[in-house]
Amino acid sequence: MSNSQEKPVVLAVDDTPENLDVVKGVLASEYSVRAATSGKMALKIVEKQVPDLILLDIMMPEMDGYEVCRRLKENPETSQIPVIFLTAMDQTTDEAQGFDLGAADYITKPVNPPILKARVATHVALKRSMDELADAYRLIKRHSERMEQELSVGHEIQMSMVPAAFPAYPDRDEFSLHAMLKPAREVGGDFYDFFLIDDDHLCLVVGDVSGKGVPAALFMAVTKTMIKSHAIDDQSPASIVTRVNDNLSADNPASMFVTLFLAIVNTRTGEFCFTNAGHNPPYVCDANSGVTVMDQRHGPVLGAVEGVAFKEDSRSLCEGDQLFVFTDGVTEAMNPDNHLYSDPRLEALLAKAADAPEQLIGQVVADVERFADGADQADDITVLAYRVDHLQDIEAAATIRLVAKSELPEIERINREFAEFGQSCNIPADAIQRICIALDDLLNNVISYGFQDDEKHEIEIDVTKTDTAVQITVSDDGVPFNPFDRVGPDITLSLEERAIGGLGVLLVTELMDKYQYQRHQGRNSVLLTMHLQE
Amino acid sequence: MEIKTSDAGNVKVLEFEGHLDTNTSPDAESAINALIDGGTNQLLIDFSSLEYISSAGLRVLLATAKKLKAGNGAMRICSLNDTVKEVFDISGFSTILSVSSDKDEALASF
Repeated sequence: MSNSQEKPVVLAVDDTPENLDVVKGVLASEYSVRAATSGKMALKIVEKQVPDLILLDIMMPEMDGYEVCRRLKENPETSQIPVIFLTAMDQTTDEAQGFDLGAADYITKPVNPPILKARVATHVALKRSMDELADAYRLIKRHSERMEQELSVGHEIQMSMVPAAFPAYPDRDEFSLHAMLKPAREVGGDFYDFFLIDDDHLCLVVGDVSGKGVPAALFMAVTKTMIKSHAIDDQSPASIVTRVNDNLSADNPASMFVTLFLAIVNTRTGEFCFTNAGHNPPYVCDANSGVTVMDQRHGPVLGAVEGVAFKEDSRSLCEGDQLFVFTDGVTEAMNPDNHLYSDPRLEALLAKAADAPEQLIGQVVADVERFADGADQADDITVLAYRVDHLQDIEAAATIRLVAKSELPEIERINREFAEFGQSCNIPADAIQRICIALDDLLNNVISYGFQDDEKHEIEIDVTKTDTAVQITVSDDGVPFNPFDRVGPDITLSLEERAIGGLGVLLVTELMDKYQYQRHQGRNSVLLTMHLQE
Repeated sequence: MEIKTSDAGNVKVLEFEGHLDTNTSPDAESAINALIDGGTNQLLIDFSSLEYISSAGLRVLLATAKKLKAGNGAMRICSLNDTVKEVFDISGFSTILSVSSDKDEALASF
């Protein structure tokens, strides 16, 4: 063990006491000098205390310097002590023999004091460095096993979080979708996700967390979960990303951040809305081998600053178009000559690529591997492709907006106006009746419980009728109020036991085919759907 | 909403035309209570002209049924259309109230 506090210990060995005095004189100010007049004595001293350096005379009776050195080097406990031969002999062969025995240096007598000092200092320092290195190596070895374990934990977190079952939606023939994540040796925090928000809307996400290791994997897990939970009741990418960013930035002691591309696709029409938060721009590959980059940016990386209002853009995909989203692990992959894969190379590949997502992704990943030519994969590689296989015809729709004051008598008028509208666009009578019941009960709830002040409020009722369904949105600016949050009445009780009340919401949920509550930007919004016979 | 009252022997018949919902249920309740206060013990509610009923209307029917039962009276409901039948099924009222498909069947059951 190296001890830098005390003076280094130098053992001087010479059968001539005067020589020992000379050495002591030169070194005593900076070193603690021990003296031995024979090889035997020297070895005994070393047994008791290991010096930092040994100055060794060669010509000694009984045991000469070479023998002493040989013995020191044979013993693993003393073999590391630097040995400097001090001798009157200066023939080259003697030097060679000394070095062969493992001596660190060779100084001829008469000793030149500055030279002695300098050489001793050099070798003591060298020894100290070697000792420190040995300590560090032991520490590293102990921790490397722990690190290997951490790496595998990080991997597990990352790979368990991305959906990996393909084909993802085998029963949907309007689109196809494939994705792949090739992790770097050290977890890099890439992720992708996709999930249906409702029957016609698919959310696609690709992200890249700064940093590596388990912290990046955990941040990735948090981000991905947050996105999904916000997307359930929010159909605007800009709004989802804004809220997720506020959450992430608020509590981010490690100052991590994540780049993100989020899109919500209408699987029937091929239209999609997207937000790019600091992420490398994705591509659209159209059916005619055209490749266009979607380079709109809507805000900074997530997690850095609270209060950013992200934007969004829309775009349409035609049948045969593919949306290709990826992380910079693709374009920044390096080959052994330190060249990057680069965007132009990717674009060229996409122009000739297959037109099915699974094949396209296979080709891109294979090409990157080919390019990298065995070089270490420094970053995660993530790719996702979505293809519009088949669009549904845009349906003709009749719409109307009704506005009610927040007073119960208004319900009468609303239902009458709705019934008139329904008759004019051929909604079947029994559908009109059911919707009137649902509206009566829903509006009753909203007016009775949705406002806690004496202000006048308005409720907006939007109706859209297509060939296949009637969709009604009831929205108000009252207090957060989800009418579907209540427990329904027990309808199995007898007449005497039945309580009066609680039936309204039950009728809404049972009469309508779909119902959903959303709270968005200070408004309650209830979406009701009734399917029509085709 | 139009409310028509008639007699069929000892039974008072109430016919509701239109719909029984938030805004029309109070009138229905007043009409029913007037009859009960006036001594009616056997009540037939005829839904042949009723388009639909919401939970507000169901509430009135439940309150009425309880009241009559407490006074050893009886209530029948007849001629429900499909929409009203569905509401009765959803709410469990098909089980707890006496429902008949037409007026004659209902009157015979008193």
